[in-house]
Amino acid sequence: MEHVDELIAGHALRALSSEDEERVVVHLAECERCRRRLRETEAVAASLAYSVPQMAPPPELRSRVLAIAEPVVAAPAAEAPAVEAPARPGRPRPRHGWWPRVSLVAVPAMALALGAMVVWNVSLRNDLDSSRDDFAHGAAVALPGVGNVVAQTDGNATLFAHLRRAPAGKTYEAWVIRGTVALPAGVFEGGGTVELELTQSAKPGDKIAVTVEPKGGSRKPTTTPIATSRSV
Amino acid sequence: MEHLSDHGLLALVGRGDREAFARLYDMYGGAAYSLALRIVRDRDLAADVVQNTFLAIWTQARTFDSSRGQPSTWILTMTHHKAVDMVRREERRRAEPLDDAPAALDPEPPVEHQAWLGVAREQIATALARLPDPHREVIELAYFAGYTQSELAERLAVPIGTVKSRTFAAMNALRDALAALGMRPEDEWNTSTS
Ligand SMILES: [Zn+2]
Repeated sequence: MEHVDELIAGHALRALSSEDEERVVVHLAECERCRRRLRETEAVAASLAYSVPQMAPPPELRSRVLAIAEPVVAAPAAEAPAVEAPARPGRPRPRHGWWPRVSLVAVPAMALALGAMVVWNVSLRNDLDSSRDDFAHGAAVALPGVGNVVAQTDGNATLFAHLRRAPAGKTYEAWVIRGTVALPAGVFEGGGTVELELTQSAKPGDKIAVTVEPKGGSRKPTTTPIATSRSV
Repeated sequence: MEHLSDHGLLALVGRGDREAFARLYDMYGGAAYSLALRIVRDRDLAADVVQNTFLAIWTQARTFDSSRGQPSTWILTMTHHKAVDMVRREERRRAEPLDDAPAALDPEPPVEHQAWLGVAREQIATALARLPDPHREVIELAYFAGYTQSELAERLAVPIGTVKSRTFAAMNALRDALAALGMRPEDEWNTSTS
């Protein structure tokens, strides 16, 4: 077997082309010797991290980071927020355009933090320009403690969730809440960052909620939502 | 929790221990932020990098394999990768000269439990300074400025094969220079036991 020492050095610096990167990853999967070399090389690379001047992180970064670990999968309990009543009638709507823009400035720090992550997620998928374009047409709405929903003007909506894996025998289910009706919008298992195209389109005034359901999902929510958005 | 090794802390984080997670941030948040800032050169982007890194830590700690090295290496490797990925999307950052010190920022004295960092930093700087210029150049351009190997070949006007072998030689030289100063990164990058 031909080892990949040179590529391991480039890999540890994240400098490889995608073809070389693939070669090295494939090789590492089957070569203990090269995995050991990578371990050493990564540690040498990490020493470079310690060579930079130490700067104080902004204090609010600590709260943003610790918010990641806020409990999000509460057992369906009395104190969990119930699905909110529909927005009061006559609430003013932005006049420009059919789709109300939701300002992320108004939502709490956690949601803000996750808002930043949505931008991150989207720009990972697309190049920066096209993701900016997406956002010009869509509205991001926070799902506190869970993530965000990005709804497009055509009603297609994508949920970005940052949840731990659902407990055994359970699944997460997304809902489009229209008035007092909850429409099933897809199930997911969680674990890492999940991107879910909702199977139900979202109209202005709808809310998005997430519940924990028995494996396979339910046709109606059987537990109190772990998060409910404001109107999209 | 004070007595726990990084491995112990990370195992607790993997079980959803928020206190351990906070402690891990207090230990490595500063180093991660400083590294991210050095690479992306923007406080907001650096904060986003750190947040994404700790999100990955929180969600992946359970699957961390302790045989694959020190948690600190894992954390800083992820920080580095996320920062480099970001700087590649923000092309304009790279126009800035490498040695342009972020003058607007106030250096912060190392946190108490990371006091060894001050010593380590000096030694690592010494090791870097001992490298031949072409070695130091290739490491700095790749690691801190996020250049890919093909971009390096173009910038340095050498064949890509030369970039690959030079990178390999440079990392070996850095390892040897650290060893000559008595540092073995693979064993030592663990603030809890230092
Ligand atoms: Zn090998």
